[in-house]
Amino acid sequence: MTDLLRIENLVVEYATRRGTARALDKASIILEENKTLGLAGESGCGKSTLGRAIMRLVPYPGKIIEGEIFLNLDQPVSVKTEDIPMGEVNLMNLDEDQMRALRGRMIAYIFQDPMTSLNPMLTIGDHFIQIMQAHDPEIEDEAALDRAKEILDGLGILPERVTDYPHQFSGGMRQRVMIGLGLALRPRLLISDEPTTSLDVIVEAQILEQMAELKDKFNLTMILITHNLGVLAQTADDIAIIYAGRIMEHASTDALFGNPQHPYTKALLEAVPDVSKPEKKLTWIPGAPPDLMDFIPGCMYNPRCPHAMDICRTTVPTLIKSKSGGKVACWLYEEE
Amino acid sequence: MDNRQDTKLVSGVFYQLSPKRESFQNQSRTWWIIFIIVVGGSLVLLAGLFLLAAQSISQIGIQVVLITFAIAICMMIILSIKDLKIEDGTLTTARGYALFIVMCVVAALILIPLSLVFLPLDSLTFWIATVGGGLTLSFTGLMIRDFYPELRERGTAGILTISGLLIVFAIVYMTFLAPFITPYLPFSINVGPVLDPPSSEYPLGTTALGQDLLSRVIAGGATMLQVAAISVAVCFTIGVPVGLLASFRGGLTDRVLSLVMDSIFAFPGLVLAIAIAAMLGPGAVNMAISIAVVYIPSYFRVVRSQVLTVRELPYVEAAVVMGARDRDIMFRYILPNVLPSAVVVMSINFADAVLTAAGLTFVGLGLPVDIADWGWDLTSGRNQMIVGAWWVSSFPGLMVVILALGFTLAGDGLNEILTPKLQE
Repeated sequence: MTDLLRIENLVVEYATRRGTARALDKASIILEENKTLGLAGESGCGKSTLGRAIMRLVPYPGKIIEGEIFLNLDQPVSVKTEDIPMGEVNLMNLDEDQMRALRGRMIAYIFQDPMTSLNPMLTIGDHFIQIMQAHDPEIEDEAALDRAKEILDGLGILPERVTDYPHQFSGGMRQRVMIGLGLALRPRLLISDEPTTSLDVIVEAQILEQMAELKDKFNLTMILITHNLGVLAQTADDIAIIYAGRIMEHASTDALFGNPQHPYTKALLEAVPDVSKPEKKLTWIPGAPPDLMDFIPGCMYNPRCPHAMDICRTTVPTLIKSKSGGKVACWLYEEE
Repeated sequence: MDNRQDTKLVSGVFYQLSPKRESFQNQSRTWWIIFIIVVGGSLVLLAGLFLLAAQSISQIGIQVVLITFAIAICMMIILSIKDLKIEDGTLTTARGYALFIVMCVVAALILIPLSLVFLPLDSLTFWIATVGGGLTLSFTGLMIRDFYPELRERGTAGILTISGLLIVFAIVYMTFLAPFITPYLPFSINVGPVLDPPSSEYPLGTTALGQDLLSRVIAGGATMLQVAAISVAVCFTIGVPVGLLASFRGGLTDRVLSLVMDSIFAFPGLVLAIAIAAMLGPGAVNMAISIAVVYIPSYFRVVRSQVLTVRELPYVEAAVVMGARDRDIMFRYILPNVLPSAVVVMSINFADAVLTAAGLTFVGLGLPVDIADWGWDLTSGRNQMIVGAWWVSSFPGLMVVILALGFTLAGDGLNEILTPKLQE
């Protein structure tokens, strides 16, 4: 298995009027081909920022301060200015034109809100034509439409509906259209940012199932950003838990749910209701996530952690191999 | 399959109307009343057109009208064949249009030398009249053919647009043909008694200079249409892209452009128009430019504020994330969502251009007196109202109202049609 995506020491900062907020602090992730990585964490912890940073589209006033993002390309991508060679490419070294060629072509991104993510003035077919022509100016309208019909058919939407406008579709169908748009160019990496948050549970289940099927069909690697651990338990191969811009634990799904290492992961799992155990008492984590402007020395979780030690308040823990086979950033497991 | 194609070709323009026996029997009484009004009205208009053409001063009115009809029918047949071919899949859309343009050019190359040889006429006027009239007619036919299904779906909005555009096209057609269908020369004075009330010889009466008012009403739309069309075209092509650019780029570009536009906006409209017209001198184009300058800031302001909201919407972000080019984001994602507001400004602009043009003519910066113009007749006719000559200002005024009505209806309807969401 080759690594499709390798992120090293990624730092993203938002320069706001109140000061600089560090939304991602030295995040490192390795993602193997054909795996699904789940990114979980509380609101505002940096999950979406990480997803956007991979596209190099951190919303203003955010900025990638340092770090490397390596993407493994299985074929060269031709660009007007300078072609991108096959093999491992550092996205941070590409210029804007090259990056634009990769977006949609190699990396697709699906947004949280399908209701507003489609242009109300274009028909569904026009969306497909747009995207395909942006990456291949040669392709004719008719060919693009045929491809669109094929994709929509695969997603359970009648092919005749390419001439319909977005407002004529329901929320679940729009999300399927969005997924179809994302997959129109057969990308290698699909980043879905809470794709099912605004949908009801039945549609959510359908969409997740379809995404899993498509993953096999298109040989996709996926990053699934969500705060719904239940969704991750079903779909993800690996899960990374993020807290206040730092990766706390990164392990396979089984290991993470069966044998959580980090106190924060444990607390998170305690807070998830379990239908099979009605007697389980739900707990919450006392306190609130730290203010990202005002930097806490040491581990970000230390003010809320029941196991906090002296070293936790002074020194930042690094990601080390854990007993469960994953990685964890906690002083509890540091041998020395 | 072949049979169907044949019937389509034969019925040409109206194949999509394809009236069936049962569909006629099932219509309600309202439908029949509307049907009779529309068909009867069209027949009356056509009869009037031929009557005017038969009695025109140019002697060749009928021929000119028939040539325009011939051009229109040729265009429609060519376009119908093109559409059929595209439907069959033998032609792609782009090639179909290319072929159409090539055919038009070839036809023009054959027709122009032929007519230069056989027609010993003031050929430029003749050409403008026939080609302009023919194109207007074929546009009208195309509009009816292509919009008819849409009209049925869109209901009121479709009817509004079509009736507005029909009014405008009818006036444009009349103006194109004016040199050949007026009963008298519109600018020659003393063709009849001074201030004669409407009679059988002068159907709309005469002016204070003894000009035939009917001829002046037929020919007088030219200036008004030119001023309105040029000023709106200039405003639109400058105001909308500049507004788009300013808000899309932001920063210094936005500041500078907004400052310039605001300083133009600070002047009262008519005063600025008078100043510019005084600088450029009289004439339809200069009038149009001075009106355009006054109106550019309103387009700029409306477009800029709209773009600022639209470009933050998730679908624009989604397009960026899919790797869309900047120009696609500007012209395919932002512009179509901004255009409806610009179209609203446009319909106000049209009506205002007509009024400002009349105002400029009134202060003597518009046109020379001998050119037929509704605005001029309207303003000069006010003086004759006192002596009871109501017709001098009434009929040009009525035409201005009808034209403005046409523009407003078309603008309103187009606004609704352009916004897919307002469909239901």
